[in-house]
Formats: sequence, C-alpha cells, structure tokens
Amino acid sequence: MASMTFVMPDGSRREVEAAPGETILAIAQRHGIAELEGACEACMACSTCHVVVEKDWFAKFPEPSEEEDDMLDFVYGLALTSRLGCQIVFTAALDGLVVRVPSDRHNALLD
Amino acid sequence: MTVRRPIYLDYQATTPLDPRARDAMRPFLEESFGNPHSAHHTFGQQAAEAVEVARRNVADLIGADPREIVFTSGATESNNLAIKGAARFIGNTRRHIVTVATEHKCVLESVKALEGEGFSPTVLPVRQNGLVDVDELAAALTDDTVLVSVMGVNNEIGVIQPLKEIGQVCRARDVLFHSDCAQAVGKIPLDVGDMSIDLMSISAHKMYGPKGIGALYVRRRPRVRLEALFSGGGQERGMRSGTVPAFLCVGFGTAADIARQEMADERKRLARLAANLKDRLLAVAGARLNGDADQRWPGNLNVSFAGVDAEALLAALIDDVAAATGSACTSAAVEPSYVLNALGLDAEIASSAIRLGLGRSTTTDEVEAAATAILRAVDTLRAHAQDSAA
Repeated sequence: MASMTFVMPDGSRREVEAAPGETILAIAQRHGIAELEGACEACMACSTCHVVVEKDWFAKFPEPSEEEDDMLDFVYGLALTSRLGCQIVFTAALDGLVVRVPSDRHNALLD
Repeated sequence: MTVRRPIYLDYQATTPLDPRARDAMRPFLEESFGNPHSAHHTFGQQAAEAVEVARRNVADLIGADPREIVFTSGATESNNLAIKGAARFIGNTRRHIVTVATEHKCVLESVKALEGEGFSPTVLPVRQNGLVDVDELAAALTDDTVLVSVMGVNNEIGVIQPLKEIGQVCRARDVLFHSDCAQAVGKIPLDVGDMSIDLMSISAHKMYGPKGIGALYVRRRPRVRLEALFSGGGQERGMRSGTVPAFLCVGFGTAADIARQEMADERKRLARLAANLKDRLLAVAGARLNGDADQRWPGNLNVSFAGVDAEALLAALIDDVAAATGSACTSAAVEPSYVLNALGLDAEIASSAIRLGLGRSTTTDEVEAAATAILRAVDTLRAHAQDSAA
C-alpha cells in the first residue's frame, strides 16, 4: 500500500494511504484534510488546494499547465515548489511523497 | 539653411514625445479619465480597453505575449523589480548574481542592495570596446547563480551587448536572464524568444513616449516569478500594485507601435547622420570614438578630444549644442564616468569625452551645424590651453 504525508500548518504530519491515479486534492479530501478546500472542484478557478511540494519530490511531477501557473500567481505564500493539489496526480513512483499545506489560503472565487 | 539652437543631441538622456503619441494620450487626460480598474462603469472599461491595446503594442515590439508585460513607472523601477524580485523569490535556494561593470546605476545599486541581504554578486569587466566576453560570463556561472543581468544598448557608449549568445548560455545553465533594454527597445530588433530573455526592462521616454512609465517583460513559459516591491491592490498580476495610468500607457503603446513600423528606416537614416558626424569629429587630431565602432546603436557617439576638458567643452557649446558628458543621472557628479573607466581609458581621455545622441528629429543640417560648432569649440579650448601654458 502506497502512502504520502501532508505536513500541516502547525507542523504536525499526517501520513495517509494513497492510490495511484488520485489527485493530491482527492487524497486529502478522502482522508478528511479540510485545509485543502477545493472550492472550485478542480476547475482551476480558486487556488484553495495550494500545496508546497518537498523539493526532492517536485521534479517528479510533470510541468504545470499555463492555466495552473496563472492560478498559482494568486496564491498566498507562493514557493518555488508550489502546485495546485487538484492538478498533480499520485503515482506508484511517488510512494512516500511529502507536501506542505500552507497556513493561509486565498479563494479566487471570492474576489 | 538656419537651424534652431541649441541643437538637441542628448537622445540617450531622453527623447521628445512623438506628437502622434501625444495626440493619442489627450482623451485619457480629458473626458476618458476613468480608472482602468473600475470594472463597473464605462469610464473604467474604456480606460481598461485602452491599457490592453497599449500592452499589446508594447508586447508586439519585443515578440512577447501581452500577459507578459507589467507596466511600471520606468526602467529604474523595472530593473529593481526584475533583479530584487527574482532574487528574493528564488533566494532561499540560490544566492549568486552576475552583472557587468558598465550597467546602469540602478542595476548595479539593486545588486549591491541584494549583497546586503546575503547574495553574492559577480560584476564582470568589459573589454576595451565595451562588450562583455561571453565565455567569461559563462565561466562565472555556478549552480548557485540565480540571475544574469546584462543590458542591451549601453546608455553612455551605445555598444550593443551580444544578448542572444548570453541568453543561450543562461538557458543552458537554467539561470534567469534579465536585460535592461531601456536604450534598445524601439531602436534595434529585439525578440525575447529568440534571445532567451526571461526579464526585460523597457522605458517609454527613451523611445518617444511619455516620461513616468515603463514596463517589465516577465516570461510566462516557463513562468518567471517575482516578489513584488510594493504591497497593494495586486494590479499587474500581483507584480506591481498601484493604479495603472491609462494616459501614459496609451502614449507608451502608441510610441511602441510607431517604433515597430519605423525602426528599420530610422536606424538607416541615423546611421548615415552619425557616420557624417563621426567623420567630421574624428578628423581632428587627438579625437577618438569610445566603444566598439561596429556593434553599436548609431544614434550614439561617445567621443574624446585629447587635452579638452569635457565640462569646459559643454559649457562652451551651451548656446549651440545640448549634449552630455555621461549619463544624465550622474552628470551632476564631477568624477569621470565609471563606464569609461571600465573600458580602461586613462582618466584624461575619460574626462575629455562627450556623449552625442542623435534621434528622430535630428536633421542633416543640425549634424553639420553641430559638428562645426564642436570643432570650433575644441580649437578654441586647445588654443586657450596653449596660451595659458605659454
């Protein structure tokens, strides 16, 4: 069984089971991690599923699309390894993945 | 034919506003005064539409997408935003910055400010002709290098740096490439794709647009991210908060459109005028052209007259020719230009250099009259120097 870890804003770590083919947002929601809201249901309009991928894992994902980059422009606490949880998909090669959940979120739908 | 004096030969300091740009701006100073960010009424919408047309005009001039153009107050702000913004965003992982000794003060000062924040700069020398050695630049890059900043056209000596070669070196090493193109945009063909430029600073008033506005080109693919300098309403995609001045954008955009259409002809015309001026000035004993003779923007001639103090020469020319000793921002200082020092010129040659800038309104008659006035003043000053030595 593959797993991944969410580092929560308070520094605590939530290691959860993850299935290949699921987005990081879907994994978070399935395990009740409400900090990743996903207000727009993955249509790239809100940026509330912003995660910061641990550096060593970042390069293992395909490049973001232009639309994802556009949404990332508006997140709080953007980092070099920021991604939208709804756009990155878990695979077997990502077993052990670690992402950080930022302390603050910005819902572009409410602008 | 009589010419109006003094003859303006200081086009690197600033250019006059093109009347076509002025006419396009006027409605946005009068009835169309809306705030382009006011989305709920026609005043705002009109201004916003005009700003977006201008953004496209500026983008078209450098081969960019309009969404890659961020309006700023001018090239100084653009250079600060590009250098500090990129370094501060990436800075926790890479801390090395590369630039060149002959860059504009605002580039060198931005780099110096970052040094105070823990970044380590390399300031490369230039060769005697004012051009950077691309191999030397490549050798200076490390895995820790965030950014390389090299200008397009030098503001004092007019030399054109090999942007495409530098861009290729930076791209191969995954290093951001910023270019201060304040003196280059609208003068020489530039293409951010072909030249692998990630960030480019642009000034409107150096290309016959209004003062008080410029732009920063910020590459979208792969996305270049910057830490903003200002907190505020998040205008310009969060990179430059503050109300966008529609009338200045329209003037800038119109100037960009004119430059795109007229650049090639204008360059040929200025090359002819500059060649005449150069031939006449360099015919006098002890005169020399500073900076590479070929890799240069023809609208700039930086000439030294041995034994003639440049300050005294400009004073003698006050009623005839408006020129400069160096960049306008440092011309109040009496020390010789750091750009000329970087070419390895001895202090006496450097302090005898004047910068002549030719531009859109410069005529053949003006060039003839200016050459005559300069040569006469050089003769007079040399005769005085001999008299007082005798």
